[in-house]
Parts: sequence; structure tokens; C-alpha cells
Amino acid sequence: MSVIIDAQTRVLVQGITGQEGRFWTGHMIGLGTNVVAGVTPGKEGQEVEGVPVFDTVRRATEEFAADASLLFVPPRFARDAVYEALDAGIRTVVVLCEGIPVHDALRIRKAALSQDAMVIGGNTSGVISTGEAMMGFFPHWIERVYSPGRIGVMTRSGSLTNEVTAQIVEAGFGASTLVGIGGDSVPLTRFAEVLPLFESDPGTDAVVIIGELGGTMEEEAAEAIRGESFTKPLVASLGGRTAPEGIRMGHAGAIVTAGKGTVEGKISALEGAGALVADRPSNVGELLREVV
Amino acid sequence: MKLFEYQAKDLFREAGIPVPQGKLVDKPSALDGAVREVGVPCAIKAQVLQGGRGKAGLIQLAYTDAEAREEAAEIFEKTGRGVLVERALGIERELYLSITPEPVSGSALVMASAEGGVEIEEVARTRPEKIVRELVDVSEGLMPFQARDVMFGLGLEGDAAKQGGAMLQALYQLFCRYDAELAEINPLAVTSDGLVAADGKVTIDDGALGRQERFSLSREHFESDVEFDAAREGIPFLHFDGDIGLLCAGAGLTNVIFDLVNYGGGSVNSYVEFGGPNYRKGAKALELMMRTEPRIVLVVTFGTIARADVIAEDLAGAIKDLNPEFPIVVAIRGTGEERVEELLAGVGIESLRDTEVAVGQAIELARAEGARA
Repeated sequence: MSVIIDAQTRVLVQGITGQEGRFWTGHMIGLGTNVVAGVTPGKEGQEVEGVPVFDTVRRATEEFAADASLLFVPPRFARDAVYEALDAGIRTVVVLCEGIPVHDALRIRKAALSQDAMVIGGNTSGVISTGEAMMGFFPHWIERVYSPGRIGVMTRSGSLTNEVTAQIVEAGFGASTLVGIGGDSVPLTRFAEVLPLFESDPGTDAVVIIGELGGTMEEEAAEAIRGESFTKPLVASLGGRTAPEGIRMGHAGAIVTAGKGTVEGKISALEGAGALVADRPSNVGELLREVV
Repeated sequence: MKLFEYQAKDLFREAGIPVPQGKLVDKPSALDGAVREVGVPCAIKAQVLQGGRGKAGLIQLAYTDAEAREEAAEIFEKTGRGVLVERALGIERELYLSITPEPVSGSALVMASAEGGVEIEEVARTRPEKIVRELVDVSEGLMPFQARDVMFGLGLEGDAAKQGGAMLQALYQLFCRYDAELAEINPLAVTSDGLVAADGKVTIDDGALGRQERFSLSREHFESDVEFDAAREGIPFLHFDGDIGLLCAGAGLTNVIFDLVNYGGGSVNSYVEFGGPNYRKGAKALELMMRTEPRIVLVVTFGTIARADVIAEDLAGAIKDLNPEFPIVVAIRGTGEERVEELLAGVGIESLRDTEVAVGQAIELARAEGARA
């Protein structure tokens, strides 16, 4: 079992004819993802990996019903492409690109909230339900990193995710669904909004959060535990505990300003709510063994 | 990208927000003319991006031409950058006003306080009831009633409240027009002539610089040439004063390595992150790294798009070309990882599989190099 995407989910790919779009569409299909159509303006009539390409999302969805859309578009076009998907009635959208302008991200988030849609990203590797389906790019063929299992994973980072999931697998577990929340300062979907999905998923026994300094998403997850909208075990691995204040650590969202967004603060919120916090990635497996 | 005060005030002036009469002076010889034009008493303000300029002696008040010359000479000496000469204001009291993105609701957040001139975070911590907050729906814009809520909430009355509302509207327009991550007036001075933006900060979203052609990063925004060069390459780069240079792909992973080095009693010399779209810039990253003179370089990646085989091949090539003197500890994993060992063996580097083993080895080597130095 899984959340957000499974083998039945009918997936549309916007920007399918670009280099990345082509390459990863192939891998998505290879994993079993039900990719029904692609969209690139001006390329209607072509095929990518046997998937028909349309000029617009509207035309694509007139032919093939779609439940979710994956966007391989540059950041400056992200807002337009998300709106195009929402306009066609698609309610799950994954945006991969890094560097969506903050003001565009605010508008996208507002639109998604008001239309009851889930837009995930940006600056993410996407979403994968291990062994079932994928929207994005994960090296799912590396078994020591991506193995099916019963742990839900949410992450603000790409490279660190591989590091942590490898530890999860080494400890004898695997992932149900892995959700790339992304590293931007305005994540379009937040940790606490995915937790209820894992809560009601019978295929998920516990959740691992891969977070870092900056923002308030980890604190909101702690709040979800306190409010009992999430009652399964939660283990967090947080980067940037020793980062200096006021310096942006790589990701747009990874910055402590005026004492806010510190990893110390996140740890005390999470531990105070009953979650476990690993002091380094290699402890994640051990902590999972304690609670699962 | 943070704007300098004079740039922020140019934007304010264009938007119709009153600012003190002022003139930017970029060399000492132009100072006298500027002081004559502005008049005394005047404030001499260093145009640097660091906070706390007042405490650092980088803002000085001058009552005579001679004083102005003296103070300006000192600030030129300290910073090597230009100064802003501004007519001094008769300030009755100081307010605070800012607009920032609010990521949870997808709104813009207006914050105002009747206690200006100090950092808003300090007020938020000690006297949170003194802060007026207003969330703005970015698809609708700032409504007039919201501006009134803020201004009456600050205790302004009559013409001052009306003028403040107009200023807030102008600031909001500017916040949107220039893709700002921060638009702040602090202090917002109450004077006998009305409200004046005595100081201001504007930060432009780096992700929007492509459509904000008016502003671009210049050498002045950085402490050193190497930081500027890294920024032009789009490579996140930070310089510290420790031993180990981190050459890692992926910010999340780099932040954890940064912690692991510190936990293990090591110290970080620099942080060069070449993940995501930059993964083919390993050679450039190594070149930047060499300019910070680390004792040891630690390369750790676990990439997907940032393919392990490509990174290892580029790194091996760069080592051959640049011939760095420092030892390099390497753990490159991810897509194509089965070829890494062979590629690195060509330049005599052992390929490690485990992050913590690599970090431990780098700390040991840094210690040994330190003892030898």
C-alpha cells in the first residue's frame, strides 16, 4: 500500500519531450507507473516511450483521464504549468524544478489550498511508492537505497534522502511511499499535510522525516502528533544542527534568522511531542527498530 | 540578493515613499559637494550589507562640514565602499513596517510595530503584543481596510494614519513589483513633516533575478573574489576558518556532513555544493576550493541526477589537471556507482562507500596535517 501514487494512478507528464522528461518517463514506466499521456506545446502527435504527446493539458485529458501530473518545466514556467493542470481538474501535481520564484510559489500554494489540490515541490526528486509507481527521479533500481516496505518517508533534500533510505534498508526496512517535499522556502505541500495520508494508510507503520534547519515544517509535524492527527511512530533526521545563524545553507529554505528555524528548536518540539530524533543518518535504522 | 540602502531608497522614492534628502558618494573627493547639497546636520552612512551598522560605528552624525569630512574619511577607511550622505531628521518617534512572504498560508505578511529602530525579532520575543500583523491574499492584493487596520493599530491618527496607509500600499506594490523576500522600513520616522523612511532594507528573491533585470549581483555584494566567482557559477559557496573543505553534491547532504565534521571534533574550511543542475561542475568546484587553501578536501555525494560515474570522472580529470596539494577523501555513491572505484583508482584515490567512515578519515587526516604544519 502507499499514499499519493500507486500503480493505478493515471499520470500525465508536462514537459515530456525534453531530455530529462524523456529519460525519466522511461524509468517511470519501467517501474510500472501508469503514464497515460504527455504534454509539450507544439509537439502533439509525437510519442515518448510509447506515450502520446499533446499540445495542451486540456487536449490530453479529453483523450485520457489523468489523476496526477508531473512537471518537467523550468522554474519560470512552473506557475503557468501548475495552473494548467489544476484548470483541467487534476488535483495531484508534482513540480520538480529548483528556483521557482517565491512570489509564484505563494500564488501556487494559495491556489492549491483554495482548490483542495495537492501540489508537491519544488526543488524535489518527486514521489515514489516503492515497487509500484514513481513521479519524478529516484534511482529505484539501486536496491540498497530503494526497497519496498512499510516506512513512509518525507524529505526536504534529494541527496540526503538516498543516504537515509540506504540506512533504512540496511536496518531491514523499506519505504511505502517517499514524498519529496523539497528544499525551497515556500514548499507547496508541507510535512503536516502529508502525515494524515500516512496515518490512514494501512501499508505504513511509521514515518521518517528528513528535515533541516529553517522554516517551521518540523514544528508543524510535532503539532500534528500533539493534536493526534498523526499517531504512528515518527523518526526525524535533521541536518544543520551546527550551522551558523543567518547563513543560507545551500537550499533556499535552509536558513536560521534571528534564532528562528534552529535544529535545536525543531528537536525539542519533536521530542516534546513524543517523536524520536536521530543525531545522525546512521541512527535512523536503530530508532526505527525501537518503535516498529 | 540584498540591496544596499541607497538602492532600497531609490525604490522607495520612485514608489512615492518619502525618504530623507540624500546623496551617494563613492569617493572622498566628492564628499564636500554632497554635504553642501544636503546641508548639515547630516548623517554619514556606510553602504555595506552587514546589519548593526550603528553599533559598528558605520553610521555617524555630523554637525559641521569638517565633522562630515572626518567621519566620512573614517568610514571610507573602514569599509572601502561608498557612503550615503543624508539630511538629518527631527524624529519624534520611530515605527517599524515590513512585508515578507508567509509560506504556510501562501500570503504576504505585513508586520508593524510602534517600537521601531530596534530589531523586530527582539520586539517579537519580549513584547509580542506590540506587533500588528496582517495577512495579505497575494491574488487580491493589500486591501485599503487592511492598511487602515495596520495604521490605526500602530496608534497613528488623522493625516499620519492616512499617509501611513498610502506608504504601506506603496511598499506592498514595490514588494510585488520587485519580487522581494523582504521589504522593510525601520525606522519609519514620525517627524513634524510627516512620516519618512529613515532606513530601509529590500531583498530580491534570487529565484526571480532572471525577470528582475534592474538588479544583478556585483562584486560589492561579496566579501571576496572567490565568493563572487562561485556566485557567478551558481555554486553555493561558504567560507569558514577551519581545516576541511566540503565538496559535496546536494545541500541536505552537505548540511549533515557539516554537522558530522563538527560532532567529530573537526572544523570546516569551506562549503562548496555542486549538486542538482551543477553536478557537472566538479572541476570548477575543485578550483574554487583550492583558492580557500583547505588542509583536506572531503568529497561526498549520493546522487540520482547527479550521477556518481560522471562526478567521479570529472573529479579524476580535475585532479589530473589542477594537481591539488591537499589529500582528498572521497565517497561518491548513487546512479552509476559501480564505475566509481575504477575511475578514482586512476588518480590514486580510494573510493569509500560510507559517509561516516569518510568523515572520520577526513578529520584524522586534517589532524595529522595540522600537526605537521
